[in-house]
Amino acid sequence: MKIRHFLNLSFEIAKSSFKLRNEGSYLGIFWYLLNPLLLFVLLLLVFSDRLGNNIPSYPLYLLLGIIIFNFFQQSTLESTRVIVRDYGELIKSINFPREALVLGITLRSVFSHFFEFILFLFFMLIFKNSMTGLIFYPIILVFLFVFIFGFSLILSSLTVYFIDLDNIWNFFVRLVWLATPIFYSIGGQDRLFIANLFNPLYYFITLSREIIIYTRLPELWIIFGALFYALSALLIGMLVFNKLKVKFAEML
Amino acid sequence: MKKRIIVEGVSKKFKIGFKKRESALSRIIHLFSGREPKKTLEALKDVSFKVDSGEIVGIIGKNGSGKSTLLRTIAGIYKQDKGNIKAKGKIISLINLNIGMHHRLTMENNIFLCCSLFGLSHREIREKFDSIIEFSELRDFVSTKLYQFSNGMLQRLAFSIAIHCTPDILLLDEIFEFGDEKFKEKSAEKIKEMVRKGACVVLVSHDLRMVEKYCHRVILMTDGAIKKEGKAKEIVKGYKIEV
Repeated sequence: MKIRHFLNLSFEIAKSSFKLRNEGSYLGIFWYLLNPLLLFVLLLLVFSDRLGNNIPSYPLYLLLGIIIFNFFQQSTLESTRVIVRDYGELIKSINFPREALVLGITLRSVFSHFFEFILFLFFMLIFKNSMTGLIFYPIILVFLFVFIFGFSLILSSLTVYFIDLDNIWNFFVRLVWLATPIFYSIGGQDRLFIANLFNPLYYFITLSREIIIYTRLPELWIIFGALFYALSALLIGMLVFNKLKVKFAEML
Repeated sequence: MKKRIIVEGVSKKFKIGFKKRESALSRIIHLFSGREPKKTLEALKDVSFKVDSGEIVGIIGKNGSGKSTLLRTIAGIYKQDKGNIKAKGKIISLINLNIGMHHRLTMENNIFLCCSLFGLSHREIREKFDSIIEFSELRDFVSTKLYQFSNGMLQRLAFSIAIHCTPDILLLDEIFEFGDEKFKEKSAEKIKEMVRKGACVVLVSHDLRMVEKYCHRVILMTDGAIKKEGKAKEIVKGYKIEV
């Protein structure tokens, strides 16, 4: 019963945050598509002849990278604000499970991720890519979700103690964007490869590309890497959040 | 009588920022580190009291005497440093009318969000939806966004939501400041009805007339401690003379 209440609350938070974002905007949901679409077109124009030269199905490679990164970026950026700025007053007034806020914003990012994924499917059709790999996407998404949720738990609870974290994270996300092979491929660059072993997104993006676009089984260490990062993020996230949440109301 | 709330020797300290005359050196250090010297403030000092089911207890006192802190500690929002709190039943806290309403969403959306914060399921909210609107007398504004509501309307909505979430323990903090007389009476009647069914209410208010009229017992707080406790009439009278 309690877990149902928790999920129900998270879902309501996600829904209202989704509605709030579209509130009063003329294009509404289209913004969800427009943003990644424009970035995609821009990068495609700039890089398809150079960085994308040796990458098969470069447009799909690029777009899938963008939308997965977008999911991560949206959710984590939002998580640095949700407790301090958006729901600070509420935390001081009602004793509800605080984790629901973080789950709520992660769920909202999943909503918008779905829209972006439809865009991706559209391009899959245009480029006549094989669709068989898609059946595995839900599984990948579950682990990606777990990873992002765990990571957001850590970030959101730390921002209560370090208010500047949202600015720092803003910068850091851009750094990760450049370091992750989204619009390029690692190729034979050893240093970049080693750095990316510590980059969880590298695993998730590679995994999705191998399965969905190229319809082949990725190497095992990629699969285990993704699993490892998802579970450890969730574990650490829950530990940290649990430890810090007691003082939220006083710190805000 | 069933005890709803038992508060035993509860103390709570806060670290608060304050400025005093400081040396140039420490000023520079604080400028760079962004930290200010802190001192501790004892918001609650060894507070003990009990509330039975079927009781309305008022808490009065000056600003900063620890009334809201006490309510938040009972609600479990703050964790006490010392002492014990036992609360039996579902707690609904209405503190400064803040129940997570978003001004840019419609009243309907807000009802769903706020009720789920208080632990209602989607189906329960559907069932109670009409009754909430009926009680708040805002039938015509279901799809109006809240930023166009007046304070009185917001207060009516918030109160209506809170009482429809079936509280066993209702914690009210200064919620009658905006309502008109008619709605105050109506709310008070509703509270009495709930209390008859076995709930209990703790009411923090500066509206002494309301407190005197509806509370069975009143607690007077000064500087984080209970100064007096007793029958509503006596305590309010004594407080009025003091002020």
